[in-house]
Parts: sequence; structure tokens; C-alpha cells
Amino acid sequence: MAQVIVNGIVSAALIAPPAVAFSMLFGILRFPNFAIGGYITVGVFAAYAMNVPLALPFWVAALGATLAGAVIVWISDQIIFRPMRTSAPVTLLVVSIALTFVLEHSVRLIFGPDVKGFNLPLERPITLGQIHITRSQIHLIGTALFIIVFTHLLLTRTRTGRAMRAMADNPELAEVRGIRSTLIRVVATLYCGALLGLSGVSAGFDLAIEPLLGWSLTIPIIAAAILGGIGSVYGAMLGAVLVGLAEEFSTLILPSSYKIAVGFGIIAMLLLLRPQGLLGQPEIKK
Amino acid sequence: MSNAILRAEGVYSGYGRGDIISDVNISVDRASITTIIGPNGAGKSTFIKTVAGVVRRRAGRILIDGYDVSGMSPSDVSRHAVAYVPQERNIFRSLTVMENLEMGAWIEPRKFDSRVARVLDLFPALNALKVVRAGNLSGGQRQMVAFGMALMVEPKLLLLDEPSAGLSPVMVEQMFAVIQQVRESGIAIMMVEQNAIQALRVSDVGAVMSAGRVAMIGSASELLGDREVAELYLGTRT
Ligand SMILES: Nc1ncnc2c1ncn2[C@@H]1O[C@H](COP(=O)(O)OP(=O)(O)OP(=O)(O)O)[C@@H](O)[C@H]1O
Ligand SMILES: [Mg+2]
Repeated sequence: MAQVIVNGIVSAALIAPPAVAFSMLFGILRFPNFAIGGYITVGVFAAYAMNVPLALPFWVAALGATLAGAVIVWISDQIIFRPMRTSAPVTLLVVSIALTFVLEHSVRLIFGPDVKGFNLPLERPITLGQIHITRSQIHLIGTALFIIVFTHLLLTRTRTGRAMRAMADNPELAEVRGIRSTLIRVVATLYCGALLGLSGVSAGFDLAIEPLLGWSLTIPIIAAAILGGIGSVYGAMLGAVLVGLAEEFSTLILPSSYKIAVGFGIIAMLLLLRPQGLLGQPEIKK
Repeated sequence: MSNAILRAEGVYSGYGRGDIISDVNISVDRASITTIIGPNGAGKSTFIKTVAGVVRRRAGRILIDGYDVSGMSPSDVSRHAVAYVPQERNIFRSLTVMENLEMGAWIEPRKFDSRVARVLDLFPALNALKVVRAGNLSGGQRQMVAFGMALMVEPKLLLLDEPSAGLSPVMVEQMFAVIQQVRESGIAIMMVEQNAIQALRVSDVGAVMSAGRVAMIGSASELLGDREVAELYLGTRT
């Protein structure tokens, strides 16, 4: 039982940062960007490339993945999504799914389809009573907590962060008050890209590194974001904890290959019962 | 230098096919109040949005303090000391009251402290609500935040779209009192109002819009005294 909760928290730590990024991107770009899976894959393979073939220290690889994530999200926004910003959100959603396939297949083309791993010293799980947890899982939870606190401070304590919230809340009014949407968009894509690249590194710690890694995380991430109320950053954090726990508890009664169905189940149920999510406010349209 | 802070000359604009407003000519003097009245759907909001740059003008010129701002984006128009308060969705609901006011001084953050003191003087009720999320406020408090945020711009021209909408009769009185106070401080105001009589009483100039055109423009007292205007738009008979 306690082990299930620990595993759930590890899953949550894996899902929370990209769910926050997904929610922030939605707030600023105004469409659900399903390319997050592709961005995460790019991040994990950037880290792998630097860590294994280039034999750089792991922290350098993690930093490189963060940068790679920032650059890929920013570039794809500049050349694809920003020019299409007047299109319907559904169109952009479809384009983002296509982009995730393009990114994934590019990675497969370069690195091949087989499973890889980081070059890290082998470690034995730490055992506390009946609970097993590896040091890298502790790192993973620590990283997620750091990202959440950092994001909170960014959004509340910096002028740019507050402008990002203003723009997500009411883009027309933000523009009327003189906030330049292009600038905020650049900051948001770079920051969310960094989060997604780093999420790739965390995922590579805990899961097998292969091109489909990002895609396999996409559903739980989006489930967490919707659960918390899409566009609400704090909701995404809460949603991640709930999805992580739900996934792990499902393994008590279902074969673990059904874990992915939990995400789908949560999305379906929410769309029926509370489309605005747990913390989201119902959208008031004129 | 002319005394006009706003000159709209032959302005056309709209959303999809066809123009919503046609050949609108209005000029607003410094430190004066102009009220636009007219039936629902006449294009009053569209005109005010066009001045603010939210809706692109299709023809004609819009001059702010002599500068041609026609075709500029809303964020560029706001850099000419124009503060627009929309009819709906005029606050940031998920931001606190102070954060809303901060967005008002976005262009000149260093002036935040001095301006916020003045805005809180004008709306003392906001003092106790500084860290409350604006979305949790009452309708009247939200109007104060929206108005306060616009004053944080320290505008030369304030564009208000139905500032008294949804307010109680007492609050409506207070709102118009504040509008007059703002004018005393040298700011020109162009507003759209449904409380036509009260609005015209505090105004210098009144305009009637109908079907996208300025049907009539004159001094506010002239409009208040006009039989036809009274019957059609003021709901009174003389
Ligand atoms: N965003 C929009 N897209 C398309 N058409 C619009 C839009 N906003 C307004 N219109 C149309 O433009 C016309 C004028 O609307 P506008 O809001 O300017 O009127 P108004 O005089 O402000 O009315 P009210 O007194 O009801 O606020 C209406 O026919 C309306 O349907
Ligand atoms: Mg209107």
C-alpha cells in the first residue's frame, strides 16, 4: 500500500512539470498542443546524445536537454504555430499531433528504434521498511518540486510572469494595456520548452529511452492538465498527483498494461462531469 | 496646436463583410466629456474599439493629440496615452486587484507607486481588497478595478464603454461623480452610456449613433433639450 503511494508520487513527479507546461502553453497559445510528447522525446534524446555518445557528465546533458527543449518549442512556434495563430484551435491541435510524429520519426531516424539508457552508475533501491525507492526517483521528485516552486515564483513574483498570467486570462485586454503578445509568447515557449526538455530527462531516468517515450506520456499529462482545469497551472500540479496515484492504484486491480487507460478514463469522465476541471473556472463567453 | 485630443475623420470599420460603422466624424476636446448614446447594435462599442485599435479601421483617420494612430495595434495606441475600458471582460479575473492595477501601468512601471496612490484615493474601497482575486469581486467593485486600471495609464483620453452598466443607482451616481473628478484633473473622456440622461448631465458634448452613423452631435444640454432625442433615446417626454 505505502509502496503504491510512493510509486504514485513518482508518477506524479514525472507528469507534473510537463502538465504545467502544457497548461501554460494552452493559456498563451490558445490551443491544446499535443506536440508535448515530441518535445519530451527530443529532450530525452538530446540528453542521451550528450551523455552516452559524447560522454559528457550527466548534469551537462540535463542542461543541454533543457536548452534543446526550449529551442525546439520556440522554433516550432515561430515557424508553425505563430503564423497559423488565426486558425481554429482544432486545426492547430491536428497540426501539433502531426508535429509530434515528425519529431518522433526524426529521432528514430537519427538514433534508431532500440531502447537506450543513460550512462549512470548502477544503484540499488533504498529500502525503508517495506518501501523501495531509488536515488534517481528521489532526484526526480526533487526536480519536480523545484520546478513547481520556481514556476510559482516566476508567475507571481516577476513582472513578466504576471503579464503571462494576464495574457492567459484576457489576451485582448492585455494587448489594450500595452503588453506585447509576441514578446510574452517567446518567453512562454522558451520556458515551457525548457520544462519539457527537462521532463524528458526525468522520464529517461524512470522509463526506457525510446522514440515513443514522449507519446506514451502524452495522455496522462493531458489528463492531469484537464483534471486540474486546462490553463490553470496550479490545477495541473494537483491533477498530476491525482493521475499519478490513480494510475498506480489501478495496478492493484488491473494488469499494469492498462495503466494508460486510466488517463483516457479520467479525460472521458471529466469531459462528461466537470469540463472546466477541478480548479478551472467555467469560461464565461460573451 | 488644436484643442482636440481625439479627431475621428470619416471612419469606417467592421468585423466581417460590410461595414458596421460608416463615415463617423467626432472630435473630443482636452479635458472634456463626450457621451455617445444610441440603440443596441448601433455600433457604439465598435466605434470606441476602433479608436482603441482593437478593431481595425477600414477607411478614414484617427488622430490622437495630432498623431495619426489609424491602423495601429491596441498596444501601440495605448502608448499614445489612450486608456480603453471594454464593455465586457474589462478586468483580469485571475489576477489580484493590485496586479490588475499593475497591468494598467505596464508601459511605465516606474510610475506605478505614485499612480496607485492616486487611484486608491479615488476608489478607497479598493484599499481593503488589494490582494483579492478580481474575479471574486462584486460587479461594482469590478467596475472600480476596471476604471482604476485605466487611470493607471495616466491617459490623456479615456474611452469608457458603459461604465455604469450593472451598477446600483447609488453606485451610478458615484461613478459619474468620479468621471467628473477625472475630467477636472485634465483627462478627456469619451463614453458610451445607456443611462443617457445622467451621462449627458455631466457631459459637454453628446452624440447619437444609429445604424453605424452619427445621427446627431451637439452640446450635451442641446441633446437633453431636444424633443426627438428625448422621445427616441432618453425615455422621457417634455
Ligand atoms: N466581434 C464581433 N464580430 C462580429 N460582429 C460583431 C462583433 N461585435 C459586434 N458585432 C456586430 O456589430 C454591430 C454593432 O455592435 P456594437 O457592439 O458596436 O453595438 P453597440 O451600439 O455597442 O450595442 P450595445 O448598446 O448593445 O452595446 C452588431 O450588429 C453586432 O452584431
Ligand atoms: Mg456596446
